[in-house]
Amino acid sequence: MLTALQRHLTSVFLKIFWRDRRSIFFSLFFPVIFMTVFSFANSGEQDPISVGIVNNSSSAVATDFSEMLIANPLFDVTLGDEPALREALIAGDQTMVLVLPQDFDTNLGNTTSEINVVVDAAQVSQLGLIMPLLEQTLLAIEREFRDIEPMFSIAIEDVQARSQRYIDFLLPGLMAFTLMQLSIAGSGFNIVEYRRKGILKRLFVTPIEPRDFITAIVLARMAIVLVQLSVLILFAVLLLDIRIVGNFFAYYLVVILGTIVFLCQGFCLGSLAKTQEAIGALGNIVIMPQIFLSGIFYPIESMPEWIQPVAHLLPLSFVSTGMREIANAGATLLEIYPSLIGIAVWFVISFVAATRLFLWKEVAN
Amino acid sequence: MPIIEVSDLAKQYPLPDNKSEKFFAVNGVSLAIDAGEIFGILGPNGAGKTTTLEMLEGLNDIDGGTAIIDGISVNDNPYKVKEVIGVQLQANEYFDNVNLEELLSLFAALYNNNADPIALLKKVQLEEKAKAKPNNLSGGQKQRFSIACALVNEPKVLFLDEPTTGLDPQAKRNLWDLVRNLNNAGMTIVLTTHNMEEAEELCDRIAIMDKGKIIAEGTPQELILEYAPEPPEAPLHGDLEDVFLALTGHELRE
Repeated sequence: MLTALQRHLTSVFLKIFWRDRRSIFFSLFFPVIFMTVFSFANSGEQDPISVGIVNNSSSAVATDFSEMLIANPLFDVTLGDEPALREALIAGDQTMVLVLPQDFDTNLGNTTSEINVVVDAAQVSQLGLIMPLLEQTLLAIEREFRDIEPMFSIAIEDVQARSQRYIDFLLPGLMAFTLMQLSIAGSGFNIVEYRRKGILKRLFVTPIEPRDFITAIVLARMAIVLVQLSVLILFAVLLLDIRIVGNFFAYYLVVILGTIVFLCQGFCLGSLAKTQEAIGALGNIVIMPQIFLSGIFYPIESMPEWIQPVAHLLPLSFVSTGMREIANAGATLLEIYPSLIGIAVWFVISFVAATRLFLWKEVAN
Repeated sequence: MPIIEVSDLAKQYPLPDNKSEKFFAVNGVSLAIDAGEIFGILGPNGAGKTTTLEMLEGLNDIDGGTAIIDGISVNDNPYKVKEVIGVQLQANEYFDNVNLEELLSLFAALYNNNADPIALLKKVQLEEKAKAKPNNLSGGQKQRFSIACALVNEPKVLFLDEPTTGLDPQAKRNLWDLVRNLNNAGMTIVLTTHNMEEAEELCDRIAIMDKGKIIAEGTPQELILEYAPEPPEAPLHGDLEDVFLALTGHELRE
C-alpha cells in the first residue's frame, strides 16, 4: 500500500516527532492537570457556602432562623456586624451577607418581613444555588410558626446503578478536544515551520510528490497522537478510576478517524498561514468555537436552542459524541453511525481541501 | 555540446507596492553552459540570479522562454529534470532532531536510491559528524553538508546558490577545493556569488546579471580586459570587483 519512499519518509518523521520529547511532555501536561482537577472537584460533597448573618433583631424568630442555617451543613455561617461582614464579602471571604431587619418578627404572619441579601457581583452565579435553600429554610420556619404540616417531602433513594460522575462525562470530550488540538497543531505548525526554514523548498527540488509528503506526516503524527492519547487514557483509567464501558477498539477507531480529520484540517491551515503567528490565530479560529460548542464540557442539549443544529454539525461534536456514547453508554459502532457518517463527511471535505491548498510551489515559497 | 541551454527565459512578478503592475524579475536570459564547466552568475541583490536558478531547478514556473538540461525540457518535464540535478539553496536548515546520516539516507530515499551516507559525508569531510545534528554544525560545515545532500543522486549538474556567503576565509577556500574536486570528477557546476575573488578563482565562465538581464558574459580574463578600467598607475588591470561595479553601478541595492 505504501511505497518505499512513503515508508522511509514516515519513519523519519516518526523519529523527528518522537525525539521532540519536550513538546510531547507539554502536550500531555495540560490534559492531565485538567482531568485531575475535575476528578477531585467532583469527588463528593460540595464545600459549604460561606454566609454572613447580621442579626439586627433580638427576636426569637431571628435567632431560630440563624440557628437553622448554622445547623444546615450546606452553609458555613458567620455572625457579625454589618460593616465587618461587608468587608469580608468584598474580600471574597463571604459569598453573601444576610441582613435581618429589626422588625424581623413584629407582625410576623401579617406582613412580609424583608431580609436584605448583600452579594458581590462576582459571586452572583452562586445565587441560583443559594436562594432556593434560603427560601426553604424560611418556609420551614414559617411552617413552624403557623403550625402547618408540609404537604410533601422528598426522600432520595440512591439506586447505586452505574454512577455517572462528571469526570466520566468529561473524559471522552476531553480526549476528543486533545486529539483535535494535537492534530491541528501537529500538522499545521510543522508545515509553517518547515516552510519558514526552507525545508519544503529543499524537498521540492527532489522528485518527491505532495501526496508522499502528506501521507508520511499524517501517518507519523497519527502514531504520536495515539501514543499521547493512550497515555492519557491509561492515566484516567488507572489513576482516576474512569470507566470506558463500551468496546475499546471501537473507541480507538473513532480516535483514529478523528485524528485523520484534524490532521487534514491542520494541513489546510498550515498551507494558508505564512507565519507562526498566523497559524496560531487561524488555529484558534477553528479550535475555540469547538471547545464551547461541541459538547466537551457540557452536553450540546443544554445550549440555546438556536445554536444546537450548528453545534451538532461541528467535526469535534461528531468525534466527541461518538467517543462518549461508546465510553459512557457502551454503544457499538453500528449504534453511533450518525457520528461516523459525520466524521466521514468531514474527512472528505478536509482531505480534498488539504490536497487543493497544499501546493508545493506556493507552500514552499 | 552545452548541457544547459537557456533561451529567452522570463519571470514576471507583481510589483510589491502595486499589485496590478508587473515587472520582469528575469527578462530574456539566454545561456549555454558546457558540460564540465564551472559557470558563475554574478549580480547585485535583486538582479534575478536566484530566480533564474529557481526556474532551472523547477522551483519557479517559467513564464517565458525555454530551458533544457541534459536534453530534458524543464518547461515540459520538471520532475525528470530533478533526477539529474543537485541543488544547494541559500537557506540550509533541516529537520530538528535528525542527524546528518539520517538526513542523507532520507534524501537518498527521496530519489529512490541507496546512496551511502557515510561515503557522501567523507566526500565533504564530515564523516566524523555523522551523528551530529545540523544545528550543531559551523557555517562552513553546514554548507558542505548541503552539498553532500545535493550529491545523493549523483547529479550531472550541481546548482549552488551563494555557497560561500557568510563563511570565513578558511571555510571559503575549503569549499572552493570541494567544488573543484567535484568539477574535476566531471560535474557541471552553476553557482551564484557576490564574491568577485570566488568568481575569478573558481569559474571558467561568468555571466553578470542586472535588472533581470545578462549584461556581460565571458571568462574572467576576457571580462577584465574588456570592462575593468585601467588603474592609473599600476600597469595591471583592476580586478573583477571593478568589473562588477563598473557594470552595475555604485548605488547600494537592497
